[in-house]
Amino acid sequence: MANDREVLREVWEGKLPICFKLDNDEVVDIQQPDPFYLMVPRLSYFPLVTDKVKKHFSKYVSKELQDQEMWMEFNGQPLKWQYPIGVLSDLLRGPEDHLPWSITVHFDKFPELVIYKFSNKETIEAYFMSCLKEADVLKHRGLIASGMQKKDHNQLWLGLQNDKFDQFWAVNRKLMEITADQESFKYIPFRCYTDDGYRQKLIKPLGEDGRKKTLEDLLNEMFPGRSSINVKIHGMNPPLETPLQWMSEHLSYPDNFLHFVVQLES
Amino acid sequence: MPSSLLFGINNEGRVHTLSTTGSMWRELPYAGQEFKKLSGVPHFLWALGGDHQIYVYVHGLDIPIRVVEESYENERWLPIEGFTSRLLPTDRYNHSNIDGSVNRSIDKITLPSMAWQWEGKWKVELTLNGQPLDHDGWTYAVDFPAQYSPKKQWKSCVRRRLWQRSRRYSAMNTWCAIAPLHQDATSEPFIDVSIGGQKIAGACPGTMLVWAVTSHNRVMFRTGVSDKSPEGARWSHVQTPPGCEVCQLSVGPTGLVWAAVLDGRALVRSGVTRDNHQGDTWVEVRSPGDSLRLCQVSVGVCSVWGVTHDKQVWFRKGVKGECAGMSEELAAGCGWVEMVGRMAEVSVSANDQVFAVGADDRLVYFRTGVCPEDLTGKRWRSLHAPLQVSRASSSASLSRGDGKYNRSLNTLQSRPSSMIEQSNIAEIDDQSHSAPMGPTSLPVGDLTSKFETEPRHAKTWNPVQSVGSIVGTECHPETDESVWSESSRDSCIFAEDEELCWAEYEAPWSWVEAGACTMENHNLPNWFVDGTSGNSQMELEQPWRVQILSELKARSVNVDAYTHYEHAIDTTSWVHSGEARFSMGNGPFVDCILQLEWVQSIGTLTVLNPDGATAMNSFALSDVNCVQLCSEPGNPRLAVHVPRNNPPLVRFQFASDTQLEEWQAHFSTTCGKLHQVVGKVGDESVWAVSNLGDVFIWDPTEIESYQLREDECYVQKYDLSRKESPYKVKLHTGCIPGTKITITGCVGDDADRIGVNLESEPTYKLKHKAHTELENICLHFNPRFREGVTVRNAMIEGKWGGEERDEQIALQRGQEFKICIEATEDAFVIHIDDKKNSTFRHRLPPHSASYFSVWGRLQPFKLTIKSPEIILNPLDMYWRQIGGHLRRVETCKVGVTWGVGYDHTAWVYTGGWGGGFLGTLDSQNVHGMTDCQDYKVYENQRWNPVTGYTSAGLPTDRYMWSDSTGKQKRTRDQVKLLSMRWQWQSDWMTDFHVPGGVDGDGWQYAVDFPATYHANKHFTDYVRRRRWYRRCAVATTGPWQELGHTKLLDLCLEPVEDFADTKVVLWALATGGQAMVRIGVSKSNPMGHVWEHVTSDQALCSISCGPYKQVWAVGRKGCAFYRLGVTEDKLEGEKWHCVEPPGGGQLRQISADVIGVWALDLQGRLHVRKEISKAFPEGTHWQLIDVDPPVLNAAPNSTGFKHVSVGKKEVWATTNGGAMVRRLGICPTNPAGSGWDTGISGNWQQLSVKAFN
Repeated sequence: MANDREVLREVWEGKLPICFKLDNDEVVDIQQPDPFYLMVPRLSYFPLVTDKVKKHFSKYVSKELQDQEMWMEFNGQPLKWQYPIGVLSDLLRGPEDHLPWSITVHFDKFPELVIYKFSNKETIEAYFMSCLKEADVLKHRGLIASGMQKKDHNQLWLGLQNDKFDQFWAVNRKLMEITADQESFKYIPFRCYTDDGYRQKLIKPLGEDGRKKTLEDLLNEMFPGRSSINVKIHGMNPPLETPLQWMSEHLSYPDNFLHFVVQLES
Repeated sequence: MPSSLLFGINNEGRVHTLSTTGSMWRELPYAGQEFKKLSGVPHFLWALGGDHQIYVYVHGLDIPIRVVEESYENERWLPIEGFTSRLLPTDRYNHSNIDGSVNRSIDKITLPSMAWQWEGKWKVELTLNGQPLDHDGWTYAVDFPAQYSPKKQWKSCVRRRLWQRSRRYSAMNTWCAIAPLHQDATSEPFIDVSIGGQKIAGACPGTMLVWAVTSHNRVMFRTGVSDKSPEGARWSHVQTPPGCEVCQLSVGPTGLVWAAVLDGRALVRSGVTRDNHQGDTWVEVRSPGDSLRLCQVSVGVCSVWGVTHDKQVWFRKGVKGECAGMSEELAAGCGWVEMVGRMAEVSVSANDQVFAVGADDRLVYFRTGVCPEDLTGKRWRSLHAPLQVSRASSSASLSRGDGKYNRSLNTLQSRPSSMIEQSNIAEIDDQSHSAPMGPTSLPVGDLTSKFETEPRHAKTWNPVQSVGSIVGTECHPETDESVWSESSRDSCIFAEDEELCWAEYEAPWSWVEAGACTMENHNLPNWFVDGTSGNSQMELEQPWRVQILSELKARSVNVDAYTHYEHAIDTTSWVHSGEARFSMGNGPFVDCILQLEWVQSIGTLTVLNPDGATAMNSFALSDVNCVQLCSEPGNPRLAVHVPRNNPPLVRFQFASDTQLEEWQAHFSTTCGKLHQVVGKVGDESVWAVSNLGDVFIWDPTEIESYQLREDECYVQKYDLSRKESPYKVKLHTGCIPGTKITITGCVGDDADRIGVNLESEPTYKLKHKAHTELENICLHFNPRFREGVTVRNAMIEGKWGGEERDEQIALQRGQEFKICIEATEDAFVIHIDDKKNSTFRHRLPPHSASYFSVWGRLQPFKLTIKSPEIILNPLDMYWRQIGGHLRRVETCKVGVTWGVGYDHTAWVYTGGWGGGFLGTLDSQNVHGMTDCQDYKVYENQRWNPVTGYTSAGLPTDRYMWSDSTGKQKRTRDQVKLLSMRWQWQSDWMTDFHVPGGVDGDGWQYAVDFPATYHANKHFTDYVRRRRWYRRCAVATTGPWQELGHTKLLDLCLEPVEDFADTKVVLWALATGGQAMVRIGVSKSNPMGHVWEHVTSDQALCSISCGPYKQVWAVGRKGCAFYRLGVTEDKLEGEKWHCVEPPGGGQLRQISADVIGVWALDLQGRLHVRKEISKAFPEGTHWQLIDVDPPVLNAAPNSTGFKHVSVGKKEVWATTNGGAMVRRLGICPTNPAGSGWDTGISGNWQQLSVKAFN
C-alpha cells in the first residue's frame, strides 16, 4: 500500500519553471513576442498545459500557420508529447541546463517522422489510460483497472488534469494496493529510457528466496555487466538500495509506471 | 472491528491466545492443568482437560455476571391479626415470583454452583415505579392478581413486597471444572466438548449451546448455558442412531451440530431452532471416500470443514447454517470437496474463516481468501507469531529439573500423537491409565513440584482436588465462601506484564480454536511475517527513504525563485453544475439546474430553471449554516439551511446517491472554507447527531473569530435606519450585567408616548388546552410628551408593577437622541445623550431580557449591543459534518469525545476529520465504521368466527401490515434501504423479543387494536399482531475508532482538573444498565484502559456527570440517583443515593453540569433540580419546565423534548420534532432560566454542549 503520503505529496508537487520562446523564423509580426513563462507540474503532459502558450504565440505567426499543430523542441530535439514532462526534463536536460527550462515553440514544419500528431486531449487521455491499464496488467493481472468504473477512470484523469492530488489518489490508491492473495505486485511496471527510446522487462519485486529486490537488482537484470549506471527519476537520483515494491508504490508517475532515465557511463 | 482472540494449545497442553491486534502468542496463566481440546465463543471457553474432565473459562467481560434473585413476600389482612403471612388456601405462596405461580421461599433460593457468590444479604425494594415507598416497601391491593399501590386503603386486603438479592459469577478468568457425570469422575470421562450457538436466529441474546462426547461415545448436551449462567445446569444424554459411536463433534454459531463417528461417517443434527436447542434427529452423512474415515469436523455458519484420518482436509459444500434448523438438506450439505494441504486439526470461526494445525510441521495455518462468495479460500498461509511465556509456567517447568526446550522436545518425542489422535478409542483407554495426570491423581504429574510451583493465585478448581465443592453441583455458600475470599478482580485475562518473562520460540501446536476470533479477510492482523505488510513505521527510518525525501524536497528549493510564474493549472476558481430537483421550504420538488460557483474565495449557489437561463433562487454559500442529509428511501435528498435567505430551508433531490454525495462533498468543502472550519476540530466544540445518524460539529472559535470586539466586549451593530418603529431585536445572551445597549434615533414631531423596552420571554399558562401568554418586561422606559413625564416600570406575568415617574423628559420632539441602557448587578442605568438620566432597580433578573424593542413615533437609526459574553445567535452557527454513523455523541472540554452507535458500539473520536461522503479527500485519521439498524413492521390479524385469525380486518381497522402505531401502512416489500451505503444483513424474521411477550409463532394477542398486547391467547382476544424485523448495516468511514466488546447505552465525560492532559472521568452504562467507569482516559489516551464496574441495585438508563464530583443517573424505573462519596482519589464514589423523581413523572434522561441538573421525563417534559448547594448537592425538589408554544413551534411535529444537554454555562435541548433550542436567562437566582432561543430545525437527535464554555 502506498501510504507514505509525505513522499507521494512531494512527488506530486514537483514543478518545473519553463520559458517558452517562439522560433524566430516563424515570427511574422514586426514585434518580437515576449517569452512565455509557466510553472508546469512534472507529472503532467505538455498538451494539457500549453493552451495558454499556443494562444500567446499564435498571434505572431502567419495566418495559415495559426491552425497548425503547435510543437516544441529543446536543443534541436522535438519533445514527445506522450512522455510526462518530468521524464522529458530528466531525459533531455543535462546538468548544465539551468532553470528555467527554455523551450522553443514551432507552428511550422511538424516533424511527423519524429513525433506523433495529437489532435485533441482525448488522444492523450486514451494514451494515459492505456498505460495505466498496462501497468495494472503487470501489477495485478489487470484485475483492478478492469474492475473500476468509468467514473473512477474519469476521476483519475481529471485529478491529473486539474492537479488535484486528493482526487487522483482517492482512486489511484486502489491501483497501488496489493491484492489479498498476493504478497507484492506481480511485476513492477517500469520503463528505462536511454537516448534511443525506452526498454521494458518483466521484473518481479521479490526474488526467488522472498527477498525484496532493489533498484540495483533491476539495473543488473536490465543491463547485465554494466557497473556504473546513472539513474534519474523525478529529477533526483534514487539510492540503489531502494526496494522496488516501495518505488513502484510511491515513485510511479500517474500512469503507474516508473520512468527511469538511465545513463550508461562507459 | 474490536480485537478478538485466537486460541491455541501447544504440544505441552498449555493454552495460548493470540489477539488480532497483537502479534505474539501469550500464554494463559497456567494453573496446574493441561488441556487437550478447546472450543470457544467470545468470552466463553470450554476445554477438555488432560484429565478428560470438562472446564469452562469466562474471560474478558467488563461487567461481572450478576443475577438478581427476586422473591415477593405476600401477606393477607385478617380481621384480628392484621396483615399476616398466613394466606388463604387459594392464595399464592407466602414467598412467590411476580405472578404468584412459583414458590420462592428465601431460604430455598441457593447459589446454583460454587462459581457463584452472593453479594450482600436479602434486601427489600423500597420504590415502586421510581416513587419511594413507605411501610417497609409494602404495596397494597384489594386482591392478589391486581394493581398494587403504595398507599394503604381501607379496602386493601393483601399486600406484598419485593425481596432482592444478587449473586455474582465469581470464577471469572479462571478455569472452572464442570461436575463429572458420575460420582467417580473416572468412570465416564469426556473425550470432546464444543460450544457454539451464539447466533441462533431469533434466540434470546446470550444463548449458547454446549455439546460433549464421553469416553463411552455417548453424546451429551449441556442444558441452560447462557451468558447469565456460563456453566449451565446439567448434562443430558442425546441418543445417537444405533451403531454410531461418536468420537468428536462441533457446534456452529447457528447451533448446527456435526459429529464424527468412529467408522468414519458423520452425523448432522437437524432441527436445531430457537425453541429446540437440542434439535430433533440425526442425519447421516457419508465419509468423503470409501476408505476414508472422518476424524474431526468443525462447523461455521455456512461451511463445514473436516479432516480424515489420512490428514486430508475436506470442505462440505451446500451447508447453510442459518436455515439448517428448517432443512435437513441445508444442514447436511451436498458434497465433500477435497482441499490441498495435510492438516491435523481444522477450526472454523464464526465468520467462516478457517484455521488449521499442520499435520507434519505442527504450525498454525490460516486459509487466505475465504469470503462469502468463495468459502473455500485460496491457500494456506502459516502464522508466525512468537510465543510469550509467563514466568509462572516457565518456572513450573524449570522446577521439574529440565529447561523448557528439553521438556518440550521430550514430550514431543515420547508422546508424538497422544494429543491429536483422540479418535481412537484404544488410545484413549490407554491414556487414561498411563497419562501422568489421570483423574485419580493430582493435576500435575509430579507431586512434590506441584505444590512448590503452583502460582500464587491458584485458578483451577479440580473436581478431584476439591470434592464436594465442584462447580456445577450445589454447595453451601456459608461454609464454602472462603474458597472465593481472594477473588480475582482483574478484568484482564493476563497477569501484569512485569510478571512475564519473554521467551520467543516456535512451538509445535496441537490445537487451534477460532470460534472466538472474528478477523476479517480484508483486514488481516499482524500475524504473518512478510516483507510487505506492517512495517511502514520502519520504512520511515530507512536511509533510502530519507535520502529520496530530502532530494525531492531539494527540487522545490531550486524552483522557489520562479514562484511568480503563472501556474499552468488554475485551481482557484471553478464551477460545478448538475441537474437536481428542488424544493423551497416544504414545497413540492421541481426540476432545476444546480450551479455551484467558486471564484477565488466567494461561493454562490444558483438554482436555475431547467431552461438554464432564469434563476429560481440564489444565495451565497457563506450564508449556509448546515447541509444535512434528509433522504428517504429511494429519494436521495439534501437539506440546505440558509436562515438569512428566503426561504430559510431549501431541499434538493438527486438522481442517485453518488450524485448526492458528490454535491454533499462540494457543499461541505466550500462552506467549510468560507467559514474557515477546516482541519482540526476545536476542543470546545458542540457536537450533535441527526436522526439519520450523521455527526455535526459547531466550533465556537468560528463565531469568536469574526465577532466584533471592543474593549473586552463582544459587539453587535444593527442599522435600523430603514426599519420602522416599533422594532424588536432578539438579545441572544440576555441583558446580563455588563451589557450596554445604545440606540440612536430621532423623535417624531407629533410623538406622544415613545419608549424602549427590555422584554423577557412571556410566561405561558395552560388553560383549557390553550396557552395564554403573560408578558414579562424587565424595563419599560416611556417618555410621555403630553403629560411631560418619563415613566419607568416593569411587567411581571402580565401585571404592571409600581411606576417610577420623573416629571421631566430628557428627549425633545423632532430631535435626534441617543439612549444608552447599561445593566449592572442590581439595576439598569439609563443615559440619554451621554448624561445619566435615571436608574431602575431590577425587578426581573436582567439575564432573562431576551428582546430589545423601540416603539412610538420615532425613527431608529442605529443600535449597538455590547456584551461581556459572546453573542450567540443559533442561526449564525455553521454546522460542519464529519463522517460516522452514531446515535449519541458526548464530549468534554479537553476535547475527548465518544460516540455510541445504533448497535450500541462505543466509538472514540480520533481527532481527525472527514470520512463518509468526503471519502478520502480532505480526511484525516479516519477508519472504517459499521452500524446496524433494524427495520420493523407489524403484521396485524383479526379473528372471525368462521376462519379464525385472518388478515381480513374490519374496514375501520388499521392496515394489516403497519408500523407500531398502526397509522402508517408498511409492507415488507416496500421497505427500502436508505442509501447505497446500507446493505441488508438478514432476511425478514419474526421478532420473538417484543415487549409484552409473544407465543411460539411470535404472535401477541389483544382485545382490540390500540391496546396492550400479551403473549397468550385469551378467550376475549379478537386481534393479534406480530413483529417482523430485518437488519441492515451501514458501512462508512469516519474519524472514529471502535472500542472493545462492551456495548454502551449512555456515557458522559468530565475532565478532573483544568489542564490539557488531565485525567478524564468517564461514566458509561452498559446495555444491561450497569454503570461503569473507564480507567485511564485522557486527551493523550482518549480510549482509556479498562472498564471498572460500579454496582447499582437498579438497572440505569441515563448517566451524567459534572464537576464538583457530581454524578447523576436515572434508573430504569424512572427515579434519579446521586452518587455519594466521589472524591478525587475515588472517582467511582461509594454508593447511589436515590432521588425521588418529579411527582407523576418517570425520568428518562438526565444531564448535570456547573449550571444545573436537568432531567427529561417520559412525557417529554423537562425538570430542573432546584436549591442545589455545596451542602445539599442533591438539591431539594424538581421544577417543571413546560413545553410552551415557542418549543412547539420550533419545528413541525414537536410535542416535547427529546434530549437535554447541560454545559458549563449553557443548556441546550432537542425537541422530538428535531429542532435545536437553547435556554435563555439562566442565572444563579433563576437556574431554570426563561424562554428558548431557537436554532435550525435540522432533524436533530441529540447534542452535547459539555465542552462549550
